[in-house]
Amino acid sequence: MNLKLSALEFVNEVKNGNLSAEDFVSATIERIKKIDGTLHAFLNVNKKAVEQAQLVDKKIKSGKKVGSCFGMPLSVKDNICIKHSKTTCASKMLENFIAPYDATVISKLKEQDAVFVGKVNLDEFAMGLTTEFSAYGPSKNPWNPDYVPGGSSGGSAVSVSAFECVASLGSDTGGSVRNPASFCSVVGFKPTYGLISRYGLISYANSIEQIGPITRTVKDTAFFLNILSGLDPNDNTTINSGNQDFLDGIELGIEGKKIGIIQEMIGEGIDPAVLSATNEAVSKLEGFGAKCETISIDMVKYSVASYYTITATEAGSNLARYDNLRYGYDFPVEGFEFNSYISKARTKFGPEVIRRMILGGFVPSSGHAGKYFLKALKVKSKLTKEVLEAFKKYDYLVAPTVPILPFKIGEKIDDPVALFLVDINTVLANLTGVPSISVPFSISNGLPIGIQLLAKPNDDKSLLKAAYSLESTVKLPDVPI
Amino acid sequence: MVTEEEIEQVSKLMKIDVHDHKEFVEKVHSMINYFDILDSAGVEDEEFTIKDLPLSCLRSDKHIPYEEKLIELLKNYKGTFVRAPKMV
Repeated sequence: MNLKLSALEFVNEVKNGNLSAEDFVSATIERIKKIDGTLHAFLNVNKKAVEQAQLVDKKIKSGKKVGSCFGMPLSVKDNICIKHSKTTCASKMLENFIAPYDATVISKLKEQDAVFVGKVNLDEFAMGLTTEFSAYGPSKNPWNPDYVPGGSSGGSAVSVSAFECVASLGSDTGGSVRNPASFCSVVGFKPTYGLISRYGLISYANSIEQIGPITRTVKDTAFFLNILSGLDPNDNTTINSGNQDFLDGIELGIEGKKIGIIQEMIGEGIDPAVLSATNEAVSKLEGFGAKCETISIDMVKYSVASYYTITATEAGSNLARYDNLRYGYDFPVEGFEFNSYISKARTKFGPEVIRRMILGGFVPSSGHAGKYFLKALKVKSKLTKEVLEAFKKYDYLVAPTVPILPFKIGEKIDDPVALFLVDINTVLANLTGVPSISVPFSISNGLPIGIQLLAKPNDDKSLLKAAYSLESTVKLPDVPI
Repeated sequence: MVTEEEIEQVSKLMKIDVHDHKEFVEKVHSMINYFDILDSAGVEDEEFTIKDLPLSCLRSDKHIPYEEKLIELLKNYKGTFVRAPKMV
């Protein structure tokens, strides 16, 4: 069984009768059993997946209308709710939490006959960029299991890269879809803020986070955007995408387009291999008739501090609900005073979550808000102005997705500020709400490098054209696992 | 410069109790110190706006009944009542 099919290839094969959903899903489950002991992408596997695929096959055989996913096996980051199944956020705090409803993205995929093969690993409550902060242990990079797969949607990227599913859903608060996509050599997309509903995504920093697909190809991303985008009455931040067909015209090219290379993202601290890959990507884009030149976005230097200040503040608020009264686990109350009970119950949070909650209490607090939180909002506002100004001159912006190569597990875990700086190229899209995509571009010393493209808000469709052009220049080796 | 005592006070107010207190305080301290970079951003005169959402854009305020079976997922329930922890 060829598990390396893209989503569009899978649909064609099943539609044309060359492949049954049941056979493919069975082989996928076998693959998970075989390799996930090493990679640890999955937190749990859906025992009914094969049965659900059989039902799709029956629908096809009986001539009933079948959804556009045709029984395609997908994985889902474990901070997105699937009704009546565990949603742990990779936290001991929610170890036995059963989601009472489907996230909107899940409802939409169920309507299209997708099969969810399992929930995948993440940094606890999506706070991290290596998956090392999962309470259930880190995921491993399929290109080299000694290295981090990126995060926080590390399980999603690993599962797609290692052929444990056809595509996955992740969430991106500061690069959490694009970073692991880059580290695992798959496509990761962060849409314009509001393009995809967040209803049913467990909140971390809701003013900037978005659900996004992780796929094998850019066309697959367009395929999933056709399903996932659109207004949702349960999420008032959603925007009307006007029923766009994101696949339509994706091959039209980028001739005559102007592309800005963000100077601050290729400067100090960049790995020489990443810089070389970026220069090569720029040459390839120029080869399609695009005009590329370097631009400066001054506020990029302050974006990481702004990002962590804002997200910590929102995390402090969003995670306040985990007091073991409304959500939590079995923990007897006898012998505790009210505040000490909550403090004790919260010791189930992992270290990174605790750090960010403390930060989230500190930076907006009376006496400190002016120095930290309000200044962070002002940086966000100025950064947005600078980026929108840049898009008056350029159609796209380009930079490496991550300025360094994947690093070894444990290498940076004790240095939170060093970890902060890994996010420097990705947080811009979240702070400004613009769409951004990471395209697999190169392999250096056996480790992947992704290139990031950005477009102005609501120009997601145009962005996919540029990403498709770049992708079409690349032929990368298969993952060695 | 933030003091470690200030961080300890915030942890207490956030109802967060950590075993390895010194290590947590040191790491949070280094994170907050990094945020001092915001002082050199020169954004003092910058305005920031918060997007207003008119009421007409919000979903209608209709009661959506929950699925009765959900209560069965809870451990401490009797009929349609759920037992919550008794707090002092």
